[in-house]
Amino acid sequence: MKNKIKVYRAMHDLTQEDLADAIGVTRQTILAIEKGKYVPSLDLAFRISRYFKVNIEEIFFYDENINGS
Amino acid sequence: MTGLVAVVLLAIFWYSVENFTPLFFMIAFVAGIVLLYLAYRKVEDFIEDERSARITEKAATRTLQVFWVCFCAFSILAVMNLLDMPRFSRAFWLNRGTAVVPPEVLPLKLIGYFQLALLCLMIFLYVGFRIYYARKFGDWESDEE
Repeated sequence: MKNKIKVYRAMHDLTQEDLADAIGVTRQTILAIEKGKYVPSLDLAFRISRYFKVNIEEIFFYDENINGS
Repeated sequence: MTGLVAVVLLAIFWYSVENFTPLFFMIAFVAGIVLLYLAYRKVEDFIEDERSARITEKAATRTLQVFWVCFCAFSILAVMNLLDMPRFSRAFWLNRGTAVVPPEVLPLKLIGYFQLALLCLMIFLYVGFRIYYARKFGDWESDEE
């Protein structure tokens, strides 16, 4: 699973800490998701996309070349 | 709080060993764990997000998977030892009534040491798996910001 969280964070001028606080997770979780080390649950993915006011598919997309964890 | 409970438990453990009151220590140990659990529930500013919950879950599952194999192996060993009932030696049958003492089935102290070793194994397994999964799910990733 790939994502564009970093891009959206940059667009909204947010730090990882800001985003983490806003959606109720730790900064390390945001970092792990951005780096593709952790695949978020559907609930967390929706919370992130809702926060940026976009559809979930615009931030998260499935890459068949990468095995999800 | 954890340190305080640990010190109190250590003191009770010492007292129990000195006075041979193991039940007292067992009750104190369970009470200490319950106290810590209740205190943990009161903490509000602690964030346990889904990633840390997943790390804990994976580490616990793997620990259990490895541990039950070790525990099963030990249990089989213990049962085999129990089934090997003390037999009176040939000398006993030849000289009935003489003081030939059958061997002890399985020394209780030995079981205690084995249990302690298994407990230590479980703790080491859990810590090891926790470190492994924390690393896998990016706990020590460097920040690019």
